[in-house]
Amino acid sequence: MTKDILVLGGGIAGIQSSLDLAEMGFKVHLVESLPSIGGKMAQLDKTFPTNDCAI
Amino acid sequence: MLDVGRHPNITLLAYSELEKVEGEAGNFTATVRRKARYVEEDKCTGCGACAKVCPTPVEDLYNEGHAKRRAIYSWFAQGIPSTHAIDPDHCRVLSGKKCGICQKKCEAGAINFAQKERVSELYVGAVIVATGYDVFDPVKMPEYRYGQIDNVVTAMEFERFLSASGPTAGHVYRPSDRKVEARIEELEKKVKKSQKVLDRFERNHEITTHEFYGAYKAGNLNPGEDLEKDQDKWAKKYEAHLENARPLKTLREKAKGFTSAKKLAFIQCAGSRDLRFYPFCSGFCCMHSIKEAIIAHEHDNDTCSVIFGMDIRAVGKGFEEYKIRGENNSNVSYKRSRVAEITKDADENPVLIYEDTKEQKVKRQTFDLVVLATACAPAKGNRKIADILKIDVDQYGFFKTDSANPLDTSRSGVFVCGCAQNPMDIPESVAQASSAAARAAQTVINKNDKKAS
Repeated sequence: MTKDILVLGGGIAGIQSSLDLAEMGFKVHLVESLPSIGGKMAQLDKTFPTNDCAI
Repeated sequence: MLDVGRHPNITLLAYSELEKVEGEAGNFTATVRRKARYVEEDKCTGCGACAKVCPTPVEDLYNEGHAKRRAIYSWFAQGIPSTHAIDPDHCRVLSGKKCGICQKKCEAGAINFAQKERVSELYVGAVIVATGYDVFDPVKMPEYRYGQIDNVVTAMEFERFLSASGPTAGHVYRPSDRKVEARIEELEKKVKKSQKVLDRFERNHEITTHEFYGAYKAGNLNPGEDLEKDQDKWAKKYEAHLENARPLKTLREKAKGFTSAKKLAFIQCAGSRDLRFYPFCSGFCCMHSIKEAIIAHEHDNDTCSVIFGMDIRAVGKGFEEYKIRGENNSNVSYKRSRVAEITKDADENPVLIYEDTKEQKVKRQTFDLVVLATACAPAKGNRKIADILKIDVDQYGFFKTDSANPLDTSRSGVFVCGCAQNPMDIPESVAQASSAAARAAQTVINKNDKKAS
């Protein structure tokens, strides 16, 4: 029985899940197929509706 | 992103793929294959000195192919982890040729061409699938001629143009113009090289190339012994030189008229709400196009944009206001129409043919650049992951959930969030991700409680 959690995909959804779980105290393994995390959101310049920087 | 790299509870396995999952909720064994980066993670400082000296240019997919990276690279400048990776398909050393410049340059001694991929086993209680989506490939829509007309781009390509760190440093230069500029650069290099050779001939024989060639062609050249030997070579070189110099002159003239794109058209539902491809609405594209139009206008106040769509779906907190703001402040107009076809004129400008539904007339309108609001397509790898995890996908290839439990897949202990489940925008993805985290936490806590009792 283990309390560790596996998250597949390091885009905005995977990052948010991982951070939430890590803050709750669980150990998280975050697997991403590309060399860096960030996913599609890291390719965006700004986000709607606030025009905040995506990175 | 930075927090993920720093958090003591998160082990980041970047450049890795899931191979196998066995067991049941609360007790999974996952096998993960960590691909070889050929760069030691504990030594690389991410300084980028290696990428500066690497001689092999490779298409940069992070910039949607509009820039070049090197065979040793970081996916993007602020990427986490900042460890570089070597692309085994392009690296000279890894394809058996001589090179290794990066290894000599790396002060940290991080480059290791002998690195092997590693397989590790993880023992986990729950799995969250957040594998995202693919951008729909508009080549499948022949009427928009994506790939044939240079100035028809996808929303993601346009996003890279708008980015200050992107291939055009935030200026909306048209791809066709950039192509001409690249050709000019290429010709300039060739001309400079051949000019050097011609200069040498001129120095040796003390006449100008022009005088020599005139006499050579007229047949009244009076060659001395030296010139006799060189004359054919010189003439050939000069002819080859002209072959590059003439088009260079024309292209330079043409390039003088280049400006950034000011008249933009956005075409909604490229691939979505289309029975040939995906019948569903991708959800975020209307807002995405409005945002891109507003940012383009922010960058250059002369920009005006027309958004062509069946309707504008601004459903979300603050979205309708954003749409109106675009119309009032950012020269954005909305046209209810489904564009039938895109052609181009002699200056590479895309010409849209569409029916104006208000006037009930078929119209043609010329733009500088067309942006296709491409659909949110299910990720290609979804079916493979579904096979590994033994979970179901729906008819399109998104992971299957039911409406009462939108985060639960068909297997207990495996949850899904974000665009892997259904198309959605960033705020929705974040909300679902937090919910999925809560569901996963419930799973492992409950299982452990049961064990305790």
